[in-house]
Amino acid sequence: MIEFSHVFKSYDKNYVLRDLNFTVNKGEFIFITGPSGAGKTTTLKMLIALENPTHGAVKFLGTELQDLKPRDIPFLRRKIGFVFQDFKLLPNRTVFQNVALGLEVSGIFGNIIIKNVSEILKAVELYKKKDEFPLSLSGGEQQRVAIARALVQNPQVLLADEPTGNLDEETSKIIIDIIKSFNNKGTTVILATHNKNLINMGRARVIDITKS
Amino acid sequence: MISQRVNYFINYFKIAVLNIKSNISGNVFAFLIMSFSFFIMLFFLLCYINIYNYMETLQKNNVMIVFLKNKAKGRTAVNFINGIEGVKSAQYYSNKSSMKFLEKKVKNLKSILKNIDPRNLPAFIKINFKKSAVSNIFLSNIYLRIKSLKGVKLVYYNKMLRYKIVRFMFFTKVIGLVLFLFLFILSISISYSAIKLVILRKQNEIEILRLIGATNNYIRIPMFIEGEIGTILSFFISISLLFAIYEIFIFYRFDSFLEFFHIKIIFLNPPQIALVFLIAVISGIAGTYLSSKKFF
Repeated sequence: MIEFSHVFKSYDKNYVLRDLNFTVNKGEFIFITGPSGAGKTTTLKMLIALENPTHGAVKFLGTELQDLKPRDIPFLRRKIGFVFQDFKLLPNRTVFQNVALGLEVSGIFGNIIIKNVSEILKAVELYKKKDEFPLSLSGGEQQRVAIARALVQNPQVLLADEPTGNLDEETSKIIIDIIKSFNNKGTTVILATHNKNLINMGRARVIDITKS
Repeated sequence: MISQRVNYFINYFKIAVLNIKSNISGNVFAFLIMSFSFFIMLFFLLCYINIYNYMETLQKNNVMIVFLKNKAKGRTAVNFINGIEGVKSAQYYSNKSSMKFLEKKVKNLKSILKNIDPRNLPAFIKINFKKSAVSNIFLSNIYLRIKSLKGVKLVYYNKMLRYKIVRFMFFTKVIGLVLFLFLFILSISISYSAIKLVILRKQNEIEILRLIGATNNYIRIPMFIEGEIGTILSFFISISLLFAIYEIFIFYRFDSFLEFFHIKIIFLNPPQIALVFLIAVISGIAGTYLSSKKFF
């Protein structure tokens, strides 16, 4: 499903990634690990065509992402949900409106939005807070909203970049459990973290990119 | 296909309204700035239209006076003049009615008029022209034709005043056009700055929308709708304000002193209002396009 083949990435002649090779199969859960600055975020950004490799190829469902035309990039991103460390929620929209954005950008309107958003908010146990604004929620709740927004489009892959970086251990476990529950339903998950405890909680394949 | 497009548009419209609501203070500030620029433009247009109308009234109300020689037959001259195309009326005043005419026009000089013998006053013909027929060439032509008539002593019309009015009107047209173009560009640049203030706050939002798969259209179309709502609302605020000021001006008879100069203040007519409305719409589109350009 995903293939990194001899991927190099440099910024101003400084190589962040050197000869990165790995594949991810459909329905898999993998951790990408490495110290800060090792290129974990860059690796995930390449999968949503936010960055291009300097050399090598990144393939998603057989398509080389660096060959994508700019107008096709939004359609790729709708197939891949992304959860950020800093949540990236819109502060002036309610929980419901933030999650609904994931569907609205795909041109889905009306009752389908109400049905799907309600379902996903129930799944992350935030339905009762659907009319609240992100800033009134705790860090863990905000991250659950971000996960709900990423998953409401029913993406084939969920990318999570240090999703528990700003959260305590107990909340981190809740987040990992939610992500694992969606993985059990068939969503491929790639989670970037440097947190060993989190990797132990996840019990999944680990790709250490410092070895690339 | 059509219903899907309508759905898209309704959704874009809802997003635009939501965006306005979520940044209400920024949007109100932008609306006020734009309203001010449209008000200046409408006020200028109102002044310009009234000055121009007044000058046109002056120009069209041209009167020609034909003084006749003693014992000349006025009836023949009147018949000839009435036969000229473009003449509205030609009224003959004998020596006696000349005195009455003077008494009517200069009431406060009755004591002087009392000592004048009407037989020493000239008989004359007062000619009024149809407004549609009046032009510089036309009047010069009539002047020459009447002057050559038998019994005519002097033909008087305010050629210099007319010439000055025509020059002034040309000057008014040119200056008016230049000022209007300047205000048009100013309104676009003010709308651009006001919309930019709102859009720059969206930088973070645009980045997030892109990351979750929004197309450029999804981001940009609500921005254009938001810009249009802003400029159209601002236009209505400014036209309402101008109309209110105009009504107060008329209601409290502030225009009474202008009546002395035969000036009647008129409000903008629908095509003139539509012109400024069109400028507001263009300002909204151009302002949004220019201020959102850096994101696309």
